[in-house]
Amino acid sequence: VSRYAVNVLLYRLKKDREFRMRFDDDRAAALAGADLTDAERRAFVEWDLRRLNELGGSLHLLLSIPLKLGGPEMAPPTPQRSPGAG
Amino acid sequence: MGAIVYAAAMSHVLFPEYYEKNVGAHGRRMVEELIGVVRDMGTRLHAAQPDAIVIVADDHLNVFSFDAVPALCVRIGRSVERMVQDDAIEFDRALEGLPDRYPLHEELANRILECGLDEGFDFAASWSAPLDHAFLSPLATLYGDRAIPPLVPFWVNCFIAPQPTPRRCAAAGQLIARVVGESPWRVAVIATGGLSHFPELSLARVGQSDPEFDHKIVAWMEAGDHASLAALTVRELHTTGSHELLNWMVLLGAVAPARAKVRFFGEMGRIDLAALDWNLA
Repeated sequence: VSRYAVNVLLYRLKKDREFRMRFDDDRAAALAGADLTDAERRAFVEWDLRRLNELGGSLHLLLSIPLKLGGPEMAPPTPQRSPGAG
Repeated sequence: MGAIVYAAAMSHVLFPEYYEKNVGAHGRRMVEELIGVVRDMGTRLHAAQPDAIVIVADDHLNVFSFDAVPALCVRIGRSVERMVQDDAIEFDRALEGLPDRYPLHEELANRILECGLDEGFDFAASWSAPLDHAFLSPLATLYGDRAIPPLVPFWVNCFIAPQPTPRRCAAAGQLIARVVGESPWRVAVIATGGLSHFPELSLARVGQSDPEFDHKIVAWMEAGDHASLAALTVRELHTTGSHELLNWMVLLGAVAPARAKVRFFGEMGRIDLAALDWNLA
C-alpha cells in the first residue's frame, strides 16, 4: 500500500509551487521519479480526484490544491434546508 | 489559583465566500448568521479577561504532513505564525488578511506539555507549526479588532487513522483543567470544527451531513451527558463525518460536568454549523 506516497505527492502539490507548476505543465514528466503503482500514477496523470481519494488520498488535500487545470471536482450542492429544520 | 473562565466551541470555516461557492446563497446567509453569534460570544470571552486561550483544533494536512502525525500536540515557543498558502483556494482562503503572527503563553504551554508527560500523555511538542483556518478563523471572529490574548494551540489528529479516541481526548482536557487549576492564570478554552461533514472523508460524499447525529450530541452537551460523548467511537465519528468532534472532546473533558448553552445550530446540507458555550459559574 503506497497511501503514503500518494499523500506525500498531494502535500507537495499543495505546498511546493514550483512542483505544482511542473505538474500543471506535464503531469507524467513531473511524476517520473515517484514511487507509485500504475493505478496511482494513472489517477494523478488524469487528475481523477475521486480515484485518488479512493486510493487513500487525503480529502482535505484534494480539495485545496490550487492547480490551474482541473480544480476540485465538487459534489453538487444538496437541496437547501432551513436552519434548524428537521 | 487559576480557573477556566470561559469555554466555547464552534464551527471553524467562518468565511461566507466558501459556503456561497459550494452551497449557494443559503450557505452564505447561514454562516453570516453564525458569524454574528460568534462575535457575540467574543464579547463574553473578552469580558472574562483571560490571561491565555487554549485553542484546540485539527491539522488539515497543512502542518504535519504525512512524515509524522502527532495524535495530540502542544505548540510551544514565544509566538506562532499564520499558515501561508500561495494561490489559496477553498477553506484556505479564510486566512486571507489575518495577522501574520500571534503571541503564545509560553509558560502555560510548557506546563501542559510537562504535566502531560508526567501523567502519561505522550504529547508531541512543536516549536514551528503554523496555524491554519481551524485556529485563526474563529479567533479572528471572536476578537475582531481587539487584541488576542496569548495562545496555547493544541492539535488533535482528527483525520489520519488511527486517531485518538474521544475518551482519550476528554482525558487530555481533564489534564489541561488540572494544570490550569494549579496555575495563577485565568484561561479560556476554545475548541473548533464540525459539526458533521465530509463523512468517511470520501469525495463522493462531500455535500452530506448527519443532522440526526449532530442533534444527538448537542443534546448530550446541553444535558451534561459527558459519559455518552466519551463513549463514542472513532468509527462513529468517521462514518458520520464528525472527525472534528475530537477537538470538542478535549474541551468537554476540561469543563466537565458543566452543561452547554447552544448559541447556534444550523443544517446547511453540506455541513451542520454550531456554536456553543459552557456555563462555568
